[in-house]
Amino acid sequence: MNDTAFVQLLDIAAGLVLVTSFAALWLRRLVAVARVIAVQGVALAAVAFVIGLYEHENELVAVSLMVGALRGVVLPGLILRAVRAGDERREVESLINVPAALLAASGLTLIAYAATRDVVALSSTPQVRALPLGVAVMLIGMLLIVTRRKAVLQIMGVLMLDNGIALVMFLGTSGVPLAVELGIASDVLLAMFILQVLTSRIRNKFGGTDLDQLRELRD
Amino acid sequence: MVGFSLALAAVAAALAMAAGAALPMRARVLWVGVLTALSAAAGGAAAVAVLAGSGTFTANYPNLFPLGGVRLEFDALSAIFVLATAVVAVPASIYGIGYSAHGPASRPVQIAFPLLVWSVMMVPAAGNVTGLIAFWELMALSSLVVVLAEHHHNTEARTAAQWYAAMTHLSLLAIVLALIVLARQAGGDSFADIRLGVHQVGPISAGVVFLLTLVGFGAKAGVVPFHVWLPRAHPEAPSHASALMSGAMVKLGVYGLVRVGWDLLGGGPVWWGAVVVVVGLVSAMFGILHALIASDLKRLLAYSTTENIGLIFIGVGAAGMFASSGNRTLAAVALAAAMLHVVNHAAFKGLLFLGAGSILSATGTRDLDRLGGLARRMPVTAATFAVGSLAIAALPPLNGFVSEWLLLQSLVHSLPSSAAVVAVAMPVAVAVVALTGGLAAATFVKAFGTAFLAMPRTAEADQAHESPRTMQIGLVALSGVCIALALAPTVFAAPLQRVALAVGGLADGRPIHTNGVYLQLSGIQAGLSPLLLAVGLMVMIVAALAVVRRGRVRRTIRDIPAWGCGRTVQTARMEYTATSFAEPLQRVFDDVLHPEIDIDVDHRTESRHYVQAIRYRMHIRDGFEHRLYLPLLAAVRRWGDRARAVQNGSIHRYLAYSLVTLIVVLVVSR
Repeated sequence: MNDTAFVQLLDIAAGLVLVTSFAALWLRRLVAVARVIAVQGVALAAVAFVIGLYEHENELVAVSLMVGALRGVVLPGLILRAVRAGDERREVESLINVPAALLAASGLTLIAYAATRDVVALSSTPQVRALPLGVAVMLIGMLLIVTRRKAVLQIMGVLMLDNGIALVMFLGTSGVPLAVELGIASDVLLAMFILQVLTSRIRNKFGGTDLDQLRELRD
Repeated sequence: MVGFSLALAAVAAALAMAAGAALPMRARVLWVGVLTALSAAAGGAAAVAVLAGSGTFTANYPNLFPLGGVRLEFDALSAIFVLATAVVAVPASIYGIGYSAHGPASRPVQIAFPLLVWSVMMVPAAGNVTGLIAFWELMALSSLVVVLAEHHHNTEARTAAQWYAAMTHLSLLAIVLALIVLARQAGGDSFADIRLGVHQVGPISAGVVFLLTLVGFGAKAGVVPFHVWLPRAHPEAPSHASALMSGAMVKLGVYGLVRVGWDLLGGGPVWWGAVVVVVGLVSAMFGILHALIASDLKRLLAYSTTENIGLIFIGVGAAGMFASSGNRTLAAVALAAAMLHVVNHAAFKGLLFLGAGSILSATGTRDLDRLGGLARRMPVTAATFAVGSLAIAALPPLNGFVSEWLLLQSLVHSLPSSAAVVAVAMPVAVAVVALTGGLAAATFVKAFGTAFLAMPRTAEADQAHESPRTMQIGLVALSGVCIALALAPTVFAAPLQRVALAVGGLADGRPIHTNGVYLQLSGIQAGLSPLLLAVGLMVMIVAALAVVRRGRVRRTIRDIPAWGCGRTVQTARMEYTATSFAEPLQRVFDDVLHPEIDIDVDHRTESRHYVQAIRYRMHIRDGFEHRLYLPLLAAVRRWGDRARAVQNGSIHRYLAYSLVTLIVVLVVSR
């Protein structure tokens, strides 16, 4: 793989991670959002795969395949099951409307670029230049968590947040040891399981997963 | 010798705590009392050795705490406070054996009491900032447990403990701030280093440190306006613990002020002393006025503690003013008066609290208006309470008189003074001390008269019985101490000189000369012989009794009811009560006290000219509590309610907080 192809592939894959996070804010159907998250996981795996190929690190290539399987297939699959288990297929309620959310996401992306300016200035490799994208995906994931009412979308937000962290990790360190990645992956898997169980419990108890109704529970 | 005594005190206190934790109830109370008394006696022995001139004892434990060691420095100033503690703690511990048997015998209290005694003795012994703060906090916590002793069936105790906890932490905060600033600027943690480096502290920092010290130690001493915890906490604690807290613990406020203000900081401008004198004057007046109208016996004693601490503050502050204006001989006399009053007050206030405890355990009430006629039923308590009352009213020949006389002498003889502040402040101080003396006499005539004389006002008072032997031992021992201090204050002449010399910034020379019988003040043409005074008084009393007896033989005696007003029976309802006794004086000080008085008159239904019942209710609010603390608490509560809007239960809002925080951190830390 030559340098130009590497840079272009890397930028496409990393850009796709960011674009999918915008799409998650834009789409209204829960199933569609879950599929977008799956695409994001695949794009994340592609970033790791490209870097691994370019730097001839077989371990990173193996990690990328695992990440693709976990974040592209297993976790979105879990979420899809949670979505289908309930009959709330449409995400209708958000605390802010879609244009405002997209605007806020753009603002967060700008903040991510501004905040990582010094880090980017340290090195001129294409990986580091793409680093702000990871921070932006993290912030947008948090935005998703904050603004959506359904607990299922909160889970997707957490997954997106974690995707952002993973992207920063791949771009900033050019590959972490397999053991570390395995640990992180199992953590995320565990968190997803717990959140899914929790969500179904909330649904059984309250007949829905609107978090605003939990407000009654305080003191 | 000193080191051995201090070690013995520590070991005995530890054993007492172990006994309090491990033994069953009966044995627990006994062993805790005995071992605590032993611990206090050992501390007292160390104090006596130092006061007798064995020199300053120092010890160093550099690795006691992770960040700083503890140093002990036991000099004459420490010793006089430890002596005051021992004077009250030994009898109070023995008294506690009988008192706790049907009262506060629970494990926490029995563990906390020895710890309180020991930590009160160790605070003056500390020789560095870390040690002082550590022992101070130990003392605060153990005393808080003791205040909470009866929280099961007494909600007042819980409120009292809350007030006490808040005030004692305010105190700790101010002290820690002051000492940290001082240690930082003087470049050392131990008192010796601070004394060496204190010249590096600028005048403004020194002033700030002094004011923080005054707030911190003043809050513990219970001076106005930090006195609010005292009339709440002292009544609720078990009586032997109130005796210790009121007699010894609050004195450590005075100790801290003298130690930091005039020893470590080496004294300062005249206004330091002036502020202390003003605080003392206000406390003395305010305390005795509220004591005068209080009808709860222990509340009365607590307010009287504020008054006496006020007197001690006047002495300490006057010493500071004299020293700053150049008259160090007079400063030594004022300091000696204050220190002697520390010891004396420990003895008689301890005695009075123990007496109040005997009354409480015999009748179940502290309300003077429900007592009466106890003198015949509780003769030992009555006699010892009478000794304490005479002493606290500063009447010769008891010990309160000696120290207040010394204080007045030092104030009066400052008049040919150069500094204007001194010349203005001292006559006022003399007037206030004289007035508080008079009001204190009225207060304790009321307390003794309504509790012990006349007819019992309630069935409980009628069925009262004398307390158990151990309690009587405590009472008699403390009255013995009061009388001994009254007859032989001359033994304090040399020790008080050592105390004065230990406070570098305040005094030099010898405050009191003595030839064993006669006290002669240095620099003042004044002298006193308490022993001769007492002998003279005794001779006169005996002579008067003899004359009366002689007269009795000559005349025939007729028994008729006095002031019968045509009635043939007198009932307890016709007696003066504590409230009615204080009423004329309460009218005089109406403008200061602002009492709320309700009088309800019920008429008979047949005719409005016949009264069926009259109800008189008087309630006096503590002005400082009402005007200063309650508005402050209300403001805090309002802010708290406003702050609850931050936490409204919405999960989205909590999540948004973390997002916003993350963004702010990203932007700021970039």
